[in-house]
Formats: sequence, structure tokens, C-alpha cells
Amino acid sequence: MRNLYLFFRKHYYIFLFLLLEVVSLIFFFHYNQFQNAAMYNWTSSVSGSINAMFYEIAEYFALQRTNFILSQENAILRGRMPEALYMTDTAIYTRSDSLLQTEYRFINAWVISNTTNRRNNYLMINKGSLQGVEPHMGVIFGNKLVGQVVSVSRHFSWVLSMLHKESKISAKFLKNNQLVSVEWPGGDYRKGFVREIPKHIRVLPGDTIVTSGNSEVFPNGILIGVIDQVREQPDENFNTATLTFLTDFNSLGYVEVVVDLFREEKVQLKGSFQEL
Amino acid sequence: MTNLVVRNSIRFLFLVFFQVLILNHINLGGYANPYLYVYFILLLPFATPRWLLLVLAFALGISIDVFTNTPGLNAAATVLMAFFRPYVIRAISREPEEELGIQPSLKGRGFEWFFFYSASLVGIHHLALFYLEIFRFTEFFQTLLRVVLSSLFTLAMIFLSELLFYPGRMQRR
Repeated sequence: MRNLYLFFRKHYYIFLFLLLEVVSLIFFFHYNQFQNAAMYNWTSSVSGSINAMFYEIAEYFALQRTNFILSQENAILRGRMPEALYMTDTAIYTRSDSLLQTEYRFINAWVISNTTNRRNNYLMINKGSLQGVEPHMGVIFGNKLVGQVVSVSRHFSWVLSMLHKESKISAKFLKNNQLVSVEWPGGDYRKGFVREIPKHIRVLPGDTIVTSGNSEVFPNGILIGVIDQVREQPDENFNTATLTFLTDFNSLGYVEVVVDLFREEKVQLKGSFQEL
Repeated sequence: MTNLVVRNSIRFLFLVFFQVLILNHINLGGYANPYLYVYFILLLPFATPRWLLLVLAFALGISIDVFTNTPGLNAAATVLMAFFRPYVIRAISREPEEELGIQPSLKGRGFEWFFFYSASLVGIHHLALFYLEIFRFTEFFQTLLRVVLSSLFTLAMIFLSELLFYPGRMQRR
């Protein structure tokens, strides 16, 4: 027993090192596995208020630009009005007063922390569960894609940016609705990567990629990027391409959280199908 | 003694805030971003007890993690770096530890010593940080490039700080 004690005493440095390292790694892997870990919410509100304080000051330097972006966004939003509405074609079969029913609602929020220089980037926004933000909701900037909410505290939310290795967006070509998927390969925050382009599709630089609306996260037709360069893959079933994001991830200001009012219904339907 | 504690505490706070409020937003060419906060570990006095070294490294890493939504990532890398510090010091110093002075500095130890000291520790930290963040080997060389460029960036900032905040004639050795 005494020898054991002496052994620990002699090598305490290594044991303390191992202990701290293991604790760090447990934090790291635990959190990586459960993005919504409830235990992490407290830090979100602590660091949130400090980040918010800093950004409140920084905000003043960007007022003019913010105004410009806001007016631009207004124009885009006005143009999008009909698309935010869901067509109920029951009118064909029954008499109905409502031809249109709201499918998406938007919560506006201000980005208070954002990175683009890591392999896995996150944003923090100043709206949380109090305002109705929930995990899995999409986040857009104007009519452009930003990311997806992964964890919320009362006043703040963390958003998994498109610039993350786990981001894989179901997308399509604007011109012919062909489905593809978009990822970020790391490195330059302006460049993305398009996978699973069917071989028979003629792709040209400049083709626009938008969200497909197949997931319950983003509505149909949110802009992602423009094709940059097509890479033919002779020995594979699909071609790939690089794309330039239309979102400037390095200068996000006001963003909107997308609330899909039919999300539960869609998820339930998908779930019931998988059970068969 | 109290003076050293106060100075190091202020340095800790300053570097954490400098890192999360300013440096985390700096990004050269999509690859290089500086992690100057490890400068705190480099500058701890030679006489710092080893257990304190590890505990401070853990606290420093966790403080950064709280702001970047990466629990454990910076802590793991910083603790690893701090663990190697005594061995690196012993390996590159000709004098016994008691004669090294109060704390590591460019001015006190000379360019060569300080360069090997900071380059090896910053290298260890950045290697651990970037590879842990990716945690797969498919982007091995791209990550390596990020490690090298970011290490150079961090080292440049460390040397700049040494020259700015601890001016004076460099000792020839």
C-alpha cells in the first residue's frame, strides 16, 4: 500500500496530466456526439452575454452597411411572399375560404459570434428558446443559406454553420431541379463542394444551386451558391463540382431562423413510412 | 512573488479576451489563424510547480473553449503542451534549472533558445488542436498545412510581443 502511494507520489505529474487530458477528451467527444448536450447550455448564456456586449459595440461601426443589407433583404422578402405560403389545393375538391396557409415563419436574429477560420464553424445568435428557436431549425441570411440551429439556451442559440464538416445540405439545380448534395471541404470559406451530380446532367459554370426543400430544415429554393468548376469523375457514378457560396459567411449581420410549422407532421409521416 | 502572481493573472485574462474577441476572427487565406493565448503557458515562471502548470493550462484551455463552443478541444491541446514544457526546457538548456532566471524570455535566454522553446511547444499545441478538431485523416495534408501556417503566424506574434513588451538588449550566448 505504501509502495503504491510512493509510486503515485513519484509520478504524480504524469497521472495529473493523464487525468486532465482524459477529462478534456471526455468533454470533447461527449459534446461532439450529443450536439444538444443540456449541460452545455450554461456556458452558452455566460459567453453569450460577453459576446453580445462586444458585438453591440461593434454593431455601431456597421450601421450603414446594416441599413443597406436590411433594405436589400426587405426587397428580397417582399418578392418571396407567395413562396412562404403553402398551397392547400383542397380548394379543388371542397369549398374552402383559405387558399393559402402559412407554412414557414421567420424569427429575425442578430449574429453575435461567428467564425470562418476553423474546420468546424459555429455562429451564436441572440434569440433562444424564449423566442421559439429550437434545435434543427434552419438559419438563413436574406434568401441565402447559413446553417442549422444545434443547441439553444433561453436567450441564445448555437448554429452549426454551413462551414462545418457535418454540414451536408440536400440541394438541387435551379434550372432543372436535379438533386445534389453540398458540403464544405474546409479551407476557403467562399468555396463549397457539390457531390452526387448525375452524369447525364449538363452542368455549366454559373449554374445556381438552391436548397431542395426535402429536409425539414430549409424551405425550397434558398440560394446556396453558383457552380465554379465541374470535375468529371470517369470511374464513378456521379460527377462533382466546386461552387462559390452566395452567402458571405464572414460578414453576417441580421439572419432569420426558419420555423417550419409543418415540421412535426413531416417528420411523423417520414417516421411512419420507415416503420413499414 | 505577489507581483509575479498579479502579472500572470492579468496576462491570463488579457490573452483570453484578446484571443476570443479579436484573434478568433483573424483568418489569413482560409488557412492561418493565430492562437496567441498559449503565450501564457510559455511565459510562466521557471519555478511554477508542475501541478500548477497543468491546472493553469486546463483552466486556460477551458476558458477559450467556453467562448468557441468547443468544450475540451483547446483544453486538451493546452494541457498536452504544458505537459511537455518541463521536458523541453530541460532538453534545450545547458544550465541547471535554478540558473535560468525568473521566466522564459527572448531577451534573457537569447534567440536560439527562445525559438526552439516556443516553436516546439506551439507546434505540439497546434498539431493536437487541428488534428483533434478534424479527427479524421482524409484531410491529412490540408490540415498539416494549416498547422504549419498557423504555427508560423502564432510564433510571429509571440516574437513581436517579446520585442514590444520586453524591450532591451538581447543577451549574447
